Amino acid sequence: MLKKYIISFLFVFLQYLVALQNAAAIDYKAYGFIQPEITTFFNGDGRHDQSNSNQSIFVKGTFITYLNNGDQKITINTTGRIDEKDSERSYIDFQKFKYEQYFDDITLKIGNELIFWGVNESFNIVDIINQSNLAEDISGTKKFGQPMISLNYNHSYGNFDLFIMPFFKERIFPGRNGRPRLALEVDKSTVAYESSSKKNKIDAAVRYSTVYDDYDIGIAHFYGNNRSPELNVNPLSQKLDAYYPILSQTSLDIQSTKGAWLYKLETLTAKNGEERHFGIAGGTEYTIYGLRETTSDLGIIVEYTFDDRNDFAFNNEGVLALRWTKNDIKSTSLIAGLVADMSGSSNRFFAEFEQRIRDDLKVFIDMSINGEIDADDFTYAFEEDSQLTLKIAKYF
Amino acid sequence: MKKMKFAKIIFIIFALFPFYLSAETAEEQGLRIAKASYENGRGFTDMVSDQLMILIDPKGNEVTREVSGKTLENLDPNDGDKSLTYFKTPKDVEGTVMLSHTHISDDDDQWLYLPALGRVKRISSSNKSGAFMGSEVAFEDFSGTDYRKYEWKFLGEEMENNETFYKLESYPNYENSGYSKRISLIDNLNRTYKVDFYDRKGELLKTLYLEDYVLYKDKIWMANTMKVENIQNKNITIFKWLNRELDVGINKKDFEKSSILRLAD
Repeated sequence: MLKKYIISFLFVFLQYLVALQNAAAIDYKAYGFIQPEITTFFNGDGRHDQSNSNQSIFVKGTFITYLNNGDQKITINTTGRIDEKDSERSYIDFQKFKYEQYFDDITLKIGNELIFWGVNESFNIVDIINQSNLAEDISGTKKFGQPMISLNYNHSYGNFDLFIMPFFKERIFPGRNGRPRLALEVDKSTVAYESSSKKNKIDAAVRYSTVYDDYDIGIAHFYGNNRSPELNVNPLSQKLDAYYPILSQTSLDIQSTKGAWLYKLETLTAKNGEERHFGIAGGTEYTIYGLRETTSDLGIIVEYTFDDRNDFAFNNEGVLALRWTKNDIKSTSLIAGLVADMSGSSNRFFAEFEQRIRDDLKVFIDMSINGEIDADDFTYAFEEDSQLTLKIAKYF
Repeated sequence: MKKMKFAKIIFIIFALFPFYLSAETAEEQGLRIAKASYENGRGFTDMVSDQLMILIDPKGNEVTREVSGKTLENLDPNDGDKSLTYFKTPKDVEGTVMLSHTHISDDDDQWLYLPALGRVKRISSSNKSGAFMGSEVAFEDFSGTDYRKYEWKFLGEEMENNETFYKLESYPNYENSGYSKRISLIDNLNRTYKVDFYDRKGELLKTLYLEDYVLYKDKIWMANTMKVENIQNKNITIFKWLNRELDVGINKKDFEKSSILRLAD
């Protein structure tokens, strides 16, 4: 209920900012959108007796202002959701709430921030700074803001970044009524850490990135609480206990851009608790521009990921996808593809369509169809969760 | 005798020299005019502007798109300019930033920040003929302004609206162009007035009119309106530069990949 009020408040606040911007001479930008969503599940009742339909409202608001002739910047970027069925999916987050000071070659940043590392379309294995919200999106691509103090040094040899990150945030999983959800609930009362400072541990990361000719290269090291906990079945509670080991991860990401071909690679070696593991993910994207003498483009994406941990959920998966962009006034686009477990027989089909229907309205249609799923695959819990979602975003 | 012969030869060479000068081929003359026309717009050092794009369909329906941009002139004549574009409307793309490092003989380098993804992506720039934001303006119309990207030929002079223009034909010498040729009319101040674009099949595709020329810094001519009429699909795009300022002293580092995030949301 409280979340509902907060989101309503933010919505009003956003409109207020937009109105203020139009009225006052202060130099700032404020914009955002509100997006109602309807989902229907069409291949069964769900493995956990969840509902066959869901409604949700997603809100995003952005506020940016520059001070002192652009030497300082304040950014606020808030997202929130009210979900009809899953209380874990209702949340509010300041993805960005940061102050930046720009010196000649140095940027100092304090506050909540979203940092993306990586080059792939599907398997972003080196992206580690921000915590995922699996209730929002089970694939983990939706992230929470991470509080940090960060320094960037822009040298002619490349960019050096340092991140100091207090205030660890635990991963959010779908709740009892969430769909899709894990086979068992994650017990919030039994969370354990390898670090004796637990969630107060201050995490750190460094990154070097550069552009050399056709190559965009990033090398990074992260040391801190792993964002991804180990989940162990507690035989007494019949729930999952989450344990966050300390992760020490070194990673490399490279993209090579050769005409219409993009070649992508992400790789890492990491010590997670006591065990070391290795991961690699990459692939290629080729785009046919001006498909059959029209203005449309067709992109073909092939990506693969491997992880040497046998018990890791994504240790041998491939994606084949097609992305069609019409390049019309409505920005019509469609991406569709197949995700397959190469070591088993599980697979999933997905399609995402979007089109602007008015200058301030955009419609999204997302579909996900689960094919065959192995009973020992963790996604077996989602087997009956094939879904169709309609979203309409109204922009301010 | 020998000396005499030598003097004669020298005399003949000198006598013929002006003739050689004027015996410019149609290709050389075309290249010379195209180069002068291109250099007409050079020397700006850097530039900021707001841009308005009006898209009009055959029924007369209009939509407007707003972007703002910065450009850094590359003083190295063998390499291209750098530009940073910030998208304001339509509202769903607000906060999108595009950085381009153009090159004369090589593919451009391009990076795009999309707020919905929250990441900076290096994108392919071989999409020369693609439409810019659903308009009738192709990417190559922005990036292909350098005269060295074409082979030129002078076709003669032509009268239009009681004014005499140089008529030039040009063929792109880069890959993936959507055009087989272009016919340009250039006025006696070396300003491009009109360009006809022919598609890959050789059919007339669209006509570009450059209007509202303003003289900056007493030497640089820039058109502040660009109108593109697509002959085949009957759509019209009008591109207007507002608040254009030259030589404002932009930091070179603003045009690096890492600076995109300073502009992004």
